[in-house]
Amino acid sequence: MKRDIPDLAGGVILAAIGLLVTVYSLTHYEIGSLRRMGPGFFPALLGGVLAVLGGMIALPALGRRGTSFHIAWKECLAVLAAILVFAAGFDRLGLVIATLASVLIATLATPDRRIGWRIALAIAVTILSVAVFSVGLKMTVPLWPGR
Amino acid sequence: MSGWDGFLHGLSVAAQPGVLIYCMFGVLLGTFVGVLPGIGAMATISLLLPITFYLSPEAALVMLAGVYYGSQYGGAVASILLRLPGTPQSAVTTLDGYPLAQKGRAGVALFTSMIASFSGSMIGIFVLIVLSGALAKAAVAFGAAEYAAMMILGLVAASTVGAKQPSKALAMVVLGLILGCVGTDVNSGVQRFTFGQTELMDGINLVALAMGLFGVAEVIANIRVAERTGVPPRIALRDLLPGKAELRRIPLPALRGGSLGSFFGALPGTGSTISSFLAYALERRLSRRPQEFGNGAIEGIAGPEAANNSAAISAFVPTLALGIPGDPIMALMLGALVIHGVQPGPLMLEARPDMFWGLIASFGIGNLLLLVLNLPLIGIWVSMLRIPFRLLYPAILIFVCLGVYSVRGSSFDMFAVALIGIIGYALSLARFSPALLLLGFVLGPLIETNLRRALLIGRGDPMVFLERPLAAVFIIAAAGLIAMSVVQVIRRRSASAGGQTP
Repeated sequence: MKRDIPDLAGGVILAAIGLLVTVYSLTHYEIGSLRRMGPGFFPALLGGVLAVLGGMIALPALGRRGTSFHIAWKECLAVLAAILVFAAGFDRLGLVIATLASVLIATLATPDRRIGWRIALAIAVTILSVAVFSVGLKMTVPLWPGR
Repeated sequence: MSGWDGFLHGLSVAAQPGVLIYCMFGVLLGTFVGVLPGIGAMATISLLLPITFYLSPEAALVMLAGVYYGSQYGGAVASILLRLPGTPQSAVTTLDGYPLAQKGRAGVALFTSMIASFSGSMIGIFVLIVLSGALAKAAVAFGAAEYAAMMILGLVAASTVGAKQPSKALAMVVLGLILGCVGTDVNSGVQRFTFGQTELMDGINLVALAMGLFGVAEVIANIRVAERTGVPPRIALRDLLPGKAELRRIPLPALRGGSLGSFFGALPGTGSTISSFLAYALERRLSRRPQEFGNGAIEGIAGPEAANNSAAISAFVPTLALGIPGDPIMALMLGALVIHGVQPGPLMLEARPDMFWGLIASFGIGNLLLLVLNLPLIGIWVSMLRIPFRLLYPAILIFVCLGVYSVRGSSFDMFAVALIGIIGYALSLARFSPALLLLGFVLGPLIETNLRRALLIGRGDPMVFLERPLAAVFIIAAAGLIAMSVVQVIRRRSASAGGQTP
């Protein structure tokens, strides 16, 4: 039997986060009293509530059939890589090269792998982002490498 | 200033060219993203948030609000033509809109949804004017206990009303509340959950959180799905004109839907999606021809479309009058107000009347613009549906990165947005609502501050929440909602268990 993985895993993860938050708040921050709450009171309380809710989500899921679902791995990777390349590169490489590279990476996720439209789109998006952010909003971002 | 004087004063603010142009831009952009399945008002507003730093507060808020109610108009287009809701609020419109389109009456369905949306908005604005001024006056008497109790009620209502699995919805709210704790504690100055990262001292960046959960996560989820959309039919202007019999079926459902929507929109926690479903159920029950519903009943479009637009407007009642956002989009709007140094709440009416009434008046102007522009532009909106998503999402990603960077010039936030995006995708895959997480995140610090203050005043006795009548009503209502959903879950579980055993 295929279990209800999302609820099972989600519930367990949430319960774990809740417990961690409570334990961390109790050990690191002052709890205070109901009258004068310390910084640890509210998060410790919330962590406890989350742990209980996580258990309420996970336990019933144990004996339940789950529906199948599809994880878009390729899309996840392409989008993640596109953002990381942009974030890491735009300081040193400048807005133009970072945008071109990022769009070319992001479009890897589509079924249509031909290079022509991807280059055209990369150029169009670069012009658009330079026009909006650098020219229009006068954001101080380097356009080219080494500036 | 009474409501109507205020509204007239607001018109003079909203009609300034510097505000009007952003109102127009907002409603047009809103319609555009509403039409396109795959990008919603939520993602667009979070994308625009950093750009509004460059605008006056009035222009910024008018534009963001325009995106919101504009998307409600646009959402119906894809629902009717492709049976693909452009926004969750217009999901009900697929039920009767798509059958009408298949009968070749797509134009009439679109006309109905536009007219009904406009009527609904007008009802919403009327309710907003009447209620918000009065509520703001009454709310001056609200103490910390009332605020904390009302916000708790709002969160409970948002996660239990209409939720399939209330425990999952509540868990998201609580997780949001916890994330809201990150950063410097206002009362003691202690750094909570920052783990030595200076970037986290001011808390998790609202823009990064919203863009990750809605911009990035929605892009990932839609790259494959949005490629499979069908080809919409061509719509000419004259196709829009309904026959006399059809025209007569619009006003009453629109009036009923609009009234229903304005009521549920103003309540915290129940928003426009629920209103549209309720309006549909109401129309089917009242109809003399219930068998037509699902096969292209005009009433099945007019009621829900009026309801969701009316609710979208009246949702501003608690946000503006009390400073308590009733749904996630309002939470973003509240965030935008705070970014611009405007503290929403009962005092806003006195402190910033230009802002308050200008925003409300802009709803009237914006909706008029939507009606006047959208009817002739309908052909263009329909052709937008032919744009493949793969041409749009790379630009969205770049705008997310640059937008989040522009908030405080930090590359840290761009990496954060990537991580939050992946988490948001995982959440929606497992059917946990990221919207509720955001609602909890925005309300978290407000609840904590008021909770602490109320208990300090009440000398540490939690009974303070039950001794004050209004606070007690809110708390009891919240407890009632939780009890109801527990009963529902148990009943459903025993029913399904009984069905499974042979």
